[in-house]
Amino acid sequence: MTEPHPPHVDPSTEGELSIWFFVGVLVLSSGLIIFGQGIYEFSHPGITVLANLHPAFWWGMVMVLFGGFYTFRFRPRND
Amino acid sequence: MIPMHFAPIPAVFLFATQLTHLAPVDLAILLLYFAMVIFIGFYVKGSTNTSEQFFLAGREMSAWIAGLSFVSANLGSLELMGWAGAAYQYGILAVHWYWIGAIPAMLFLGIVMMPFYYISKTHSVPGYLQLRFGEGARALSGVSFAFMTVLMSGVNMYSMALVMKVVLGWNINFSMWVGAVTVAIYVMLGGLRSAIINEVLQFILIWAGAALIPILGLIEAGGWTNLKAQIIARMGDPAYMHIWSTTGSFSSNPMGVQWTGLVFGLGFVISFGYWTTDFLVVQRVLSANSLRAARLAPIIGAAFKMFVPFFVILPGLLALVLLKDSAGHLIQLYPDGSDMVVNHGMHSFNEVLPLMMVRYLGPGLLGLGITALIAGFMSGMAGNVSAFSTVWTYDIYGAYINKKASDAHYVLMGRWSTIIGMIVSVGTAYLVMSAASIMDYVQELFSFFIAPLFGTVILGMLWKRASKAGGFWGLLCGTASSIFMWLAVMHDKANIRFMILQPHASADTILRVQAMAANLYRALWSWIVCVIVTVVVSYMTKATPESQLTGLVYGSTVIPHDGSRNLFEKPIFWAAVIATILFILNLWLW
Repeated sequence: MTEPHPPHVDPSTEGELSIWFFVGVLVLSSGLIIFGQGIYEFSHPGITVLANLHPAFWWGMVMVLFGGFYTFRFRPRND
Repeated sequence: MIPMHFAPIPAVFLFATQLTHLAPVDLAILLLYFAMVIFIGFYVKGSTNTSEQFFLAGREMSAWIAGLSFVSANLGSLELMGWAGAAYQYGILAVHWYWIGAIPAMLFLGIVMMPFYYISKTHSVPGYLQLRFGEGARALSGVSFAFMTVLMSGVNMYSMALVMKVVLGWNINFSMWVGAVTVAIYVMLGGLRSAIINEVLQFILIWAGAALIPILGLIEAGGWTNLKAQIIARMGDPAYMHIWSTTGSFSSNPMGVQWTGLVFGLGFVISFGYWTTDFLVVQRVLSANSLRAARLAPIIGAAFKMFVPFFVILPGLLALVLLKDSAGHLIQLYPDGSDMVVNHGMHSFNEVLPLMMVRYLGPGLLGLGITALIAGFMSGMAGNVSAFSTVWTYDIYGAYINKKASDAHYVLMGRWSTIIGMIVSVGTAYLVMSAASIMDYVQELFSFFIAPLFGTVILGMLWKRASKAGGFWGLLCGTASSIFMWLAVMHDKANIRFMILQPHASADTILRVQAMAANLYRALWSWIVCVIVTVVVSYMTKATPESQLTGLVYGSTVIPHDGSRNLFEKPIFWAAVIATILFILNLWLW
């Protein structure tokens, strides 16, 4: 007896918010804040160790890209 | 959480100043997180109206979501901070608790045990025990789970409040109540679904918030090879950077472990006991939407678990050579509760992660790191409270107090027991606050139950002849033997020498073993007792008729094909991949 594949239910096509959409929104919004702080730190350098590598700028950018992708990909769509 | 012997969070703090403070951007990120978790609770409430939806998330979770929440439910902040501290204290040996002490068990759960849990359509581990061994085993495990989950929730709550006090100077009561109320709201509204969504968020946040520390740390240390050399130079002992070659005897490594304890105690009994029977983690896999997803979820979890040492163990190691004061001198950390910490304001082992955070993370990034820690604590509270409400509603209230209520009634009981469970947890948190050594005991308590429980469950799943009486008495005797051994060692440390089968062990060996290894051997022995008693009593009592074993035991269960269409869809293929990577990693750090 073979168990059938469950019907592929993609919540994002049914107007319901997917977990991955929440992930995207959280990472994107925090990423924007951190990225903004990173830009600010070019003119107001931080005092942490290795601040000269501008971790907030780069990490913020990575988070914005990751979060932005997930937010867009899993955005609710009412078909 | 796998029991650790050392107190995970320092019990007493007399610091006049906190480590740092939050800038407005940090607060903004923290508030974003709180707003989101509460929103999720309200959003999900609409789809949690039946007991299956409330307690098992409707059994609709995909393999990825069930897998991520499975590993995240275990990855609390207590563990993050505690194991970073252990890496600082004992070196790279600490990685065993993430590798051999987790991966084989997780793979075993997915491939061998999941079919029986999933096909039996049970809602919990005590539920499986009732089907297989009857009410006695269910009652014993149900009551112990209910008790443990509420206690662990309180421990998480208090630990979070303490960490926030140390790192940010927040008032302990404020932190406890804000955490308790937030978690109570989103779990009461959304049940397991809410808890799972927040666990996935927490997992992402932890990677986002903590991964930067080892990256910057390795840059500062000049790379992995340089780091190893510096650690060995500082500690004067290569055993700090080897994971197997120095485990030939108790005295040849900083942790006082021997390879038999690691392989049989940790790698087999304790890790299998925890990962295959712990209520929290099994509940998440039971929420999967198909047998294939249920099998894949622990395997996906194992893949992520394998890389957690990157941001837990590595910061502890980096701190050994990088944590310096403003004059450039290495800062020394001390055991919690020690004289240096309590009376001289020094930092303890468990502060290693916050200290490294403060070292590298400026405004914004620090807020993310702190949010990740808080999320970890709150997930720990949420997971335990939702587990408590499930065990209470199904295995105590629904099994013995009110067996014939409607489904809506049980959902209502689930919501109420969430709130009451949280209130009791707050009480436990205050109790722990007033008697710090309770923290140590909580970990020990946990370890009384899991090894014998594993013995009972695995025999139930793989051996048809295990009778109802055998299952019950094996569980009871195994648990009792664990308590007995613990009491014997409490009474006289030297009794450890019997547990490790070395009647002439030296005092130094006994001290070393007591620190970390005693739990491993106690688990091994209590498992052996459980298995022997189960086997003997089973042969002395009536066998369970085959018709009552369908869907519960190997040999009486037709395990359906899980629908995999090719090799890459088969869970066993991915389990083999993970096992191979694990082997290579162990060889690399031999």
